[in-house]
Amino acid sequence: MQRLASAIVTLWLLATIVFLIVNVLPGDVGRKILGPFAPKEDVAAFNHRLGTDRTVIAQYLTSIRRVFTLDFGDSYQSGQKVTDIILPALFRSGKLALLAFVLTIPISIAAGIFAARRKDKFADRVVVNVGLASSSIPEFVTAAVLLSVFCVNWKLGEVFANPPAGTSVIGQFRYLLTPAMAMVIAYFGYIARMTRAGVIGGLQSDYARTATMKGLSKGTVMRSHILRNALAPTITVISVQVGYLFGGIIGVEKVFNYAGLGSTMLTAVGAKDIPVLQGAVLLVGIIYMMSTLLADLLIAYLNPRVRLEKTR
Amino acid sequence: MDQFAQGNISRRSFVKRGAVLGLSTTFIGAFLAACGSDSKKSSGSTAASTGGTTAPGATTAPGATTAPADTTAATAPAAGAIKQGGTMRLASQKPGSPLDPVAMDNLGTYTVVTQSFEYLCGKGDNATLAPALAESWSPNADGSEWTFVLRQGVKWHDGSAFTSADVVATMDRLAGSNLKAYLVEGATTAADDFTVTMKLNTPDGQFPYQVSLYNPQTLITPVSFVLGTTLDKVPTGTGPFKLDKYDVATGATFVANVDWWGGKPFLDKVEFIFSDDIATQISGLQGDAADALVQFSVVGGDALLADPNVIVEGTRGAAHRQIWMNTREGNFADVRVRQAVALGIDRQALIDTVLRGKGDIGNDHPIAPVYEFFDAAQPQRERDIEKAKALLKEAGKEGLSITMHVPKLQEIPQLAELIQTQLKDIGMNIELNVESTDTFYDEWCKTYDPICDGGQEFGIVDYGNRGVPDVYLVKAYATGEWNSAHYVSKPFNAAVSEYQASLDLAGRKTAISKVQKIANEDVPYVIPYFYNTLYAHSKKVGGIVASGLGHFEMGKAGFLA
Repeated sequence: MQRLASAIVTLWLLATIVFLIVNVLPGDVGRKILGPFAPKEDVAAFNHRLGTDRTVIAQYLTSIRRVFTLDFGDSYQSGQKVTDIILPALFRSGKLALLAFVLTIPISIAAGIFAARRKDKFADRVVVNVGLASSSIPEFVTAAVLLSVFCVNWKLGEVFANPPAGTSVIGQFRYLLTPAMAMVIAYFGYIARMTRAGVIGGLQSDYARTATMKGLSKGTVMRSHILRNALAPTITVISVQVGYLFGGIIGVEKVFNYAGLGSTMLTAVGAKDIPVLQGAVLLVGIIYMMSTLLADLLIAYLNPRVRLEKTR
Repeated sequence: MDQFAQGNISRRSFVKRGAVLGLSTTFIGAFLAACGSDSKKSSGSTAASTGGTTAPGATTAPGATTAPADTTAATAPAAGAIKQGGTMRLASQKPGSPLDPVAMDNLGTYTVVTQSFEYLCGKGDNATLAPALAESWSPNADGSEWTFVLRQGVKWHDGSAFTSADVVATMDRLAGSNLKAYLVEGATTAADDFTVTMKLNTPDGQFPYQVSLYNPQTLITPVSFVLGTTLDKVPTGTGPFKLDKYDVATGATFVANVDWWGGKPFLDKVEFIFSDDIATQISGLQGDAADALVQFSVVGGDALLADPNVIVEGTRGAAHRQIWMNTREGNFADVRVRQAVALGIDRQALIDTVLRGKGDIGNDHPIAPVYEFFDAAQPQRERDIEKAKALLKEAGKEGLSITMHVPKLQEIPQLAELIQTQLKDIGMNIELNVESTDTFYDEWCKTYDPICDGGQEFGIVDYGNRGVPDVYLVKAYATGEWNSAHYVSKPFNAAVSEYQASLDLAGRKTAISKVQKIANEDVPYVIPYFYNTLYAHSKKVGGIVASGLGHFEMGKAGFLA
């Protein structure tokens, strides 16, 4: 219940911030859509039709009502229903994020464990430094490099990530692989280093030593004792990344012309398309909240201390 | 935007989104340019246009101001060189408005909608009009009535026949909006199934331009069309392609209309891939994910201009940059100062540097060389530093320091910097104030309406391409609505009126010659060049006809055999 109330407050805050930001942006909506040389009467009529000529307070109340009725109205730009724009975009972003996760998580967790078990050796240094370097490069730079090298020059991947309608699941994989790789490179280092740190801590812990002295195999100690504790911070990181993957991969989506939620938001900002922007930002906010909740549940499942603390 | 984003992507959108993305776009452009190799370009055919219309308000739609160019260019494969079949993929800016043939307002939408809907008059060579749904047209003795003979055997996509009833209904609908300055409802009548007569509000010798692709919203729609209907909701038209799928977020697919009056199209399908990022579109063409790119500009298009595997076509037109100087008060009220500025500029150097040579030289009037009534005999103003200095001295403005206001739009900032450097040679010190397009257009026009000059005496503004120069002549020079220079000249206005009243080319030539001379001498605006609108395609395709106004005619396009 407390969490629900907190979620409602968060949504209200998000809606308010989006409204404020959009209204701080320079430019008149009608003028922006109709162009600089449109007759002022046309601009005025257009603004009246959209309701953007009303007072800021009236517009704010409308926008808050939209949030809580989940009816964001129609796009200023295309006239389509906002939900018809953002839900397909969410689905597309979801596909890309899922692929990126499916590739990133096993690779980076395995690399983190590999490095931790070889602490301070050459292999460990390689993982740490490669991870550090890859996570230091912004995704859109990685994306641009991959696009240019693999897609444009070598023609090994698709330049445009939107698969044509009717493309099979396997076919879609080909379209999404290169942008997903850009995200894998960006997140690999972070997750691998978090895993490495957790596993090193676990390997040096009393409980691991006790388990080993009990005669348990290395694999069992790692799976049943060390990873359960070591992965908690990693899961927290991953849960935050989930929200980010849905809304924060604007650069990657833009570079690969992928019509996901990120590029939808970017387009909406450019066109001052408030309903679309508001709907998309709130959707991302909801995803953030849900992924955080999921992370809490997972951590509680993995770590009995957390469970017990909550019970008390 | 201009499209290109900017001039055209709507150039503005392109510029804005590029700015939002910031480094990313820059990086991509630079990176791809670095990956490119040698340079190679191709030609483009030209077209010019004639004409003049009476009422400025009814000319081009708002969106068209952002980018358009003015002449038709076609990739010109040898006869019989195109084979039947295939799907051509076009990288294009995203439609910025619903696919409404009457209310559409931007280039991305024009490109899509005109695959299905057509105009009465199309675009011919050298800026003349060509038959489209109308096979011929003629005025009465004083130009107050125009009769159009319609093409027979044309079918709508549902198989029903196209007749004069469709044209009458379309014109009656437009009489309340786009064509209200020309027609009233009921002014268009049908003599028979294939002859319509339009009785104009006032005589106009060039009225057919108003029902051609130069007035993008005058597409002919069926008699049953209801205002507000969009192509994706009710796919129809008479054009070479039928809309099959449409998703504003990703793209559109058209299939060939085998019953098209122009003959079965070569292509089976045309597939649009939407993107508002020109760098992404360029990557698509270079990476073989697209076969053609509908429109781009030199700025941001370096990678294509330097790519030997891509053919870049230029469409000449009347789109230009206008350097305004306030003729009413302040430093430029003395014509000698304005003439000094005009003489201090090296136009060819500007074209070579900021346009990579893709433009026509300007002579401080808005009549582009592509217009058939252009007076080529008028002497071209050349750079003359000594004369410019002398004029400044005579006017008592030696060492003049002044701020130039420019929008951050396409090549305009670079143009301003070059002008700043060139005018140093005549002793002028220019400080540049480069502003976002939002600030420059929205705020200035809102605050200072109706004169969109922000109250400043010196700056650069962009004008898109027009089939006839009336908007430039009337709005920028005569009426004052966009007259940033606050220019008032009775002889000029008289020459414009004479031009607009002319019913034949000879009369227009005579009047336009006067217009050119007066504008050149009074120099309310320096017009250094008319830039080409660019598009590009792979070497595998040909037959595309680009208007430079957003139209990309694919009826005769296809893959080379």
